[in-house]
Amino acid sequence: MNPRIIATLVRKDVALFSRNKFFVVLTTLGLVAYMVIYFVMPASVDETLELGLYAPGGAPPILEDVQDQGLKIEEIDSEETLRKAVVEGRHVAGIALPVDFMDQINTGTRPTVAVYFAADTAEEVRTAVRSLIEELAYLQTGQPLPVDISPEIVGVDMAGSQIPPRDRLRPVFAVLLLITETLFLATLISEEIERRTIQALLVTPAKVRDFLGAKGFVGVSLAFGEALLFMAIVGGLATQPLPIIIALLLGAVLVTGISFFLATVGREMMSVMAWGIPVVVVLVIPAFTVLFPGALTGWIKVIPTYYLVDTVNQAANFGGGWGDVWLNLLALLGFGVAFFWLGSLVLVRRFR
Amino acid sequence: MAGDAIVAEELFYMYGDLVAVDHISFSVGAGEVVGFLGPNGAGKTTTVKMLTGQLKPRSGRALLLGMDVSRDAVKIHQEIGVCFETANLYEQMNAEDNLKLFARLFNMPQFDAPALLKRVGLAGREKDRVEGYSKGMKQRLMVARSMVNHPKILFLDEPTAGLDPTSAESIRSIILEERQRGATVFLTTHDMWEADKLSDRVAFMSQGKIVAFDTPHNLKQQYGRRALKASVVKEGQRLEDREIPLDSPQTPGALQQLFANEKVVTIHSEEATLEDIFIKITGRGLVG
Repeated sequence: MNPRIIATLVRKDVALFSRNKFFVVLTTLGLVAYMVIYFVMPASVDETLELGLYAPGGAPPILEDVQDQGLKIEEIDSEETLRKAVVEGRHVAGIALPVDFMDQINTGTRPTVAVYFAADTAEEVRTAVRSLIEELAYLQTGQPLPVDISPEIVGVDMAGSQIPPRDRLRPVFAVLLLITETLFLATLISEEIERRTIQALLVTPAKVRDFLGAKGFVGVSLAFGEALLFMAIVGGLATQPLPIIIALLLGAVLVTGISFFLATVGREMMSVMAWGIPVVVVLVIPAFTVLFPGALTGWIKVIPTYYLVDTVNQAANFGGGWGDVWLNLLALLGFGVAFFWLGSLVLVRRFR
Repeated sequence: MAGDAIVAEELFYMYGDLVAVDHISFSVGAGEVVGFLGPNGAGKTTTVKMLTGQLKPRSGRALLLGMDVSRDAVKIHQEIGVCFETANLYEQMNAEDNLKLFARLFNMPQFDAPALLKRVGLAGREKDRVEGYSKGMKQRLMVARSMVNHPKILFLDEPTAGLDPTSAESIRSIILEERQRGATVFLTTHDMWEADKLSDRVAFMSQGKIVAFDTPHNLKQQYGRRALKASVVKEGQRLEDREIPLDSPQTPGALQQLFANEKVVTIHSEEATLEDIFIKITGRGLVG
């Protein structure tokens, strides 16, 4: 490879990129939009269970004792207002006690307690609230629970410091930014092939390896630079920056290799888009496992971006260090090198 | 051969089952302008691609300036210029930037782009994006790009195809200037008039083979038939053509009889064209 020639070709590609309004706007808008979405989303998770209570005969004393244990109970002056508050989403549930609730408890009669839930309240929340009320009523009778519970947190105790949704989105946005650049690079290369400008380059001292080197450098730099900038601005590099930076760099190599493949099938921007969008959709799938952890299934691990998403998520959101992510980084390195190498091979066949 | 700029030895190439270039051999002397004539699909462009290292021959070899194209591509590419059949410019860039890009690839920091653009008639349009250029302007820029490195060998593939007469003439002038400079010019075309005017020698290519390779003069001598063409007036002011072959023992008598018996309106000599000769040799025309 000739560094002078590669530098010349990189300079040319940057000039062409800056003259492609579509990609400049897409890149800038993507970066800005993801940052705006990040900053407008809540920065913390409210773990308090908020309940509404209508107690015409006065609130049972036991409720006073549990107020500081993750429960917030607001007394409401009428049953109608309670129902309205639940419908409006101000409370997870509304509890309406009968006027003689305490008398019935004390005389051993089973009082009937009305509990209101909004239509979209999840079944598990309904069950939890029901159990809570039964337990509180049992305690109110003065009898201790017949079991002792010994809680043990496995791993880092996230109680009180849950990962806010916006931080869960960081790996998703970083991966989206990386992947978007595959479309730009693939378009740039396919246009070089289709317009035969590559032929003109290859009858100068520039060689195929210089061409691939320059395209690789441009692709990796743009993708990596953009994702890194995003992560830096949204504070994603605050913990374990080095594993994250390495993961983003390897991810950029991976998406550059993928863009080589796209460039072999696309003929211009629209056909690259047509081929590229299904590929982008597949590559983004692992990012959603961060948002919906239960959605993770074994087959997702065959998608190379899984190792990128998981590394960024573990390092940025859970403080995962080298020991936690080294296998991911190794897999990402393998995928990145394989895609880059195979992409280069098929690309060379296309313009031969 | 010493002093040859281009040597092709048994070059052979096929696309699938189709033989594009069929074991051709020739040499071109330094400073010579050679026209490669043939219809579309004759194998001209494939030959250029093998000579310039864009295609690897299936067999045979090509030497440029004494260097093997398949082994010394980097050194060879430093010394040649290639103008392609179809425009392949960076259209989002302006003309000057297009040339400067290639000058940087050739490591020519002192390159004077405006001067070269002026030479090809594009002065004043240096800063315009190429996408706004006419076909003729793009072709002139293509020719200019092939000359950025002052090449010792210039390959021009159909440089005037489809151009208006002014643009075509402008490119022909540049080719003659390059010959004056001492460059070897390898010109492929199916314009026999252009080849006749510009080339020291012409090669006729048909179905992948070189069927004739000589100076235009020698080809005309060998294959052509010179004649006198006359228009005579007949009854009712009707015009008729008469043709008297030259180079024949009967020519003086036939000429004497023409003037004695007919009323001659016009008379002129006619020489065989390269196209006539091509048809005579190959049995087919240059176009199509």
